[in-house]
Amino acid sequence: MSSRSSNSRIACVMVGLPARGKTYIAQKVCRYLQWLCVSTKVFNVGNYRRKLHGAHQMHSFFDPSNEAGEIARKEAAAEALKDMLRWFEDENGTVAIFDATNSTRDRRSFLLNHCKKHDIQVIFIESVCQDEDLILQNIMEVKLSSPDYKDMDPERAAEDFRARISHYKEAYETITESDYTYIKLVNVGSQVVINMIQGYLQSRIVYYLMNLHILPRSIFFSRHGESIFNLMGKIGGDSDLSPRGRKYANALPKLIHEHLGDQPLTVWTSTMKRTIQTAEQLPYPKLQWKALDELDAGVCDGMTYEEIEKKYPEDYANRDDDKFNYRYRGGESYRDVVLRLEPVIMELERQQNILIIGHQAILRCIYAYFHNNPHDELPYIKIPLHTIIKLTPKAYGCAEIKYKVDIDAVDTHRPKPQPKSAKQVVNGRSSIASSNPLTNVAS
Amino acid sequence: MAAQLYKTTSGRLFHAGQIAIITVGLPARGKTHVARSLCRYLRWLGVPTKVFSVGNYRRHVIGNASSLPHDFFNPGNLETAEARHKIATECLQDMIKWLQEGGQVGIYDASNTTQDRRKEVHDILISHNVHPLFIESICDKSEIIETNIRSVKITSPDYVGWDPEEAVKDYWTRINNHLEHYETINDTELSFVKMINVGERIIVNNVKGYLQSRIMFYLMNLHISPRIIYFARSGESMNETSQKADAELSLAGKHYAYTLKNFLLALREREKKERKEQGWDDDERMLTIWTSARQRSYQTAKPFLDEGFNVYHRPSLAEINVGEADNLTVEEIKAKFPEEYEKQQKDPYHYRYPRAESYQDLAVRIESIILELEYEKNDVLIIAHESVLRCLYAYLFDRPEDEIPRIVIPRNYLIEIIPSAYGCRETRMEIVDTFVHSVPLLADLSHNGKKSD
Repeated sequence: MSSRSSNSRIACVMVGLPARGKTYIAQKVCRYLQWLCVSTKVFNVGNYRRKLHGAHQMHSFFDPSNEAGEIARKEAAAEALKDMLRWFEDENGTVAIFDATNSTRDRRSFLLNHCKKHDIQVIFIESVCQDEDLILQNIMEVKLSSPDYKDMDPERAAEDFRARISHYKEAYETITESDYTYIKLVNVGSQVVINMIQGYLQSRIVYYLMNLHILPRSIFFSRHGESIFNLMGKIGGDSDLSPRGRKYANALPKLIHEHLGDQPLTVWTSTMKRTIQTAEQLPYPKLQWKALDELDAGVCDGMTYEEIEKKYPEDYANRDDDKFNYRYRGGESYRDVVLRLEPVIMELERQQNILIIGHQAILRCIYAYFHNNPHDELPYIKIPLHTIIKLTPKAYGCAEIKYKVDIDAVDTHRPKPQPKSAKQVVNGRSSIASSNPLTNVAS
Repeated sequence: MAAQLYKTTSGRLFHAGQIAIITVGLPARGKTHVARSLCRYLRWLGVPTKVFSVGNYRRHVIGNASSLPHDFFNPGNLETAEARHKIATECLQDMIKWLQEGGQVGIYDASNTTQDRRKEVHDILISHNVHPLFIESICDKSEIIETNIRSVKITSPDYVGWDPEEAVKDYWTRINNHLEHYETINDTELSFVKMINVGERIIVNNVKGYLQSRIMFYLMNLHISPRIIYFARSGESMNETSQKADAELSLAGKHYAYTLKNFLLALREREKKERKEQGWDDDERMLTIWTSARQRSYQTAKPFLDEGFNVYHRPSLAEINVGEADNLTVEEIKAKFPEEYEKQQKDPYHYRYPRAESYQDLAVRIESIILELEYEKNDVLIIAHESVLRCLYAYLFDRPEDEIPRIVIPRNYLIEIIPSAYGCRETRMEIVDTFVHSVPLLADLSHNGKKSD
């Protein structure tokens, strides 16, 4: 049979005891795929359970010998599964992530058969952790703040949660089903077993999972200092820094040191003069990435927005209509930029402290990856000049601090225009070829 | 050599160190396929990589199989043990020397089937500050092994002049000799990968580092199912001098698109028939088409799209960006950028015109395409621009980087590429009217009233 790997629908079914980082993995994969324009959604059975039966269930609820609890939990799982299948059908979903313990062979076989009936491929993602410290840390950081333990004494909550884990442990069967597609991550990837991968999208998900780490670190972003083109209101180009931009470059080393201390850091820049000049004074190893170059404005490169509006009025209007998908004539769209930044994101996941000196559109895309901003908002994210943004990844999401530097610069942000009464006429250029490398067939 | 993210003066990736990949496994488990494919990929990434094959050293020192005692390879044969060990050590020492002289990844292609031997190799490498990564190939399906023996092993220099059936029998004996001494890797302190039945299952243990992570992803996508890759250039556009114009296909370009479709479909029809006549009953593979997101590329795929084929737009397949040299003739470039022109002539692979991409930049950009292409099990036609096809071609055929800008991918030619265990074979065919399917008249193609100039 010919494979139709590229248009397939995939259910990622999580497997593992509580507090093994399943939800963390589910959220990250979801964020990564959504960012790559793959329609993805997490179905968390715990949330269904809380909705149907309320939070505050004590551990006895999870005891396999508690029949009422067992039935109630199955009900929640069935509800989540139903919603997932509905999402695939009605909303044309591509990847669903079914987040629950799924810790028995029976359960997995049940899910697999259901998905097969609906022509959905299943990849099981099992997280195994033998490091007790890590589990405890996870319980303290994440589980105790869950709605299940709201207003409960932390000591008691931790004890209850451990009792809950032991209920699951009794029935837990690690995946050994040799004909299933699965990835088993042992101790945050120190050992990984990959079985029967089908399709390039699955292989990409697996590769992403293998690159994740949970060491504490920070990621700093800064745009280049103000450039000559910024002053002139022109887009694109490869101009030098303005005098104020140079001032910013000179101020950077002290600022970074203030917020980082003596920790090691690597600086990434684009291959353009304005980012290289901004990084010049920084006493850290530096790498240039072509992939970090600013969005290519094609024929509009070097023009002001007024000039573009005059010379290419139709294009100008179309861009405002759907900025994420609009591709400059002979240039790039935000969507194109996201794709070219994928290797940068992958490397960022592997690395520890990184400072990226980048460009407005580029940093919008990277920022959106960390904060899960939807694509229609992405091109309007505010990344002002002469400001350092520090992101610290947490269990779910990222903590953010902005440091505005007291050196004036022009404002290059253009807000999203108010919606017009009638939809713009699309001249065909902006909507064609909005394709996804992983899933979409051009039509 | 090609795409490297960041090159240092030593020529090595600065944050990767030196790495030895040590193959492990019984004969005919696909070790050499893994070794050679990895080598090709890493070199294309710009990493100095070399395979050190103990089999080749042995052939060089002792000769081929016909001149060897029957149980030379038998790990239980103590008489030949010393000779075997000597050859293996010599090969290992050469690899270490090469790593010390500027190499980055050495691939030590030998069976290394015992724990003692692996420990010995591991300790020697560690003492030279080289990171060992063991890659074990395991296969428990005799049909895969048998296919491998027949397609690769008995055509090796060891069996020149042998009766094929005798050679197969001899090879099985060789394998069986190893079998009783074989110990799979189970030391979880080691950094290792186990590939079971050509990637059906992969076990990754304690693998860290940038290159190691790339190697893992590559191995995950590798397969040996038969398939065909086709290359064709985009058709002629209405504006051949400016990239930024992103012009539509000209009339001639549209005609070419139809001719290409008819030609390729007729070719596939013919090859299918031939295979059937030769007794192959392999499943028919689907054809998918990849294009860039430029008009001349995806418009060339339109006739395929009209016939119901899947056409994927890949923005990363866009032509090399010529930057400020856009819309300029060679003469104009010389006049406008005399210095740049000279630099470009000296190092056409790495040199970047103002605001442009170098071939190296292009190669980095299309790396994800390479991985996806490795994974793909369908047949693929890539309709793209010459610069892009050059880079892809260089990967498939292991061409050195300084050759890449000069690789010829002519218009009006279809390049058919058939990957096999140790490399690729190509056939070039002029794309001509097949008269099997009708080509719309030029007059019909121009119904939109636009003229080609």
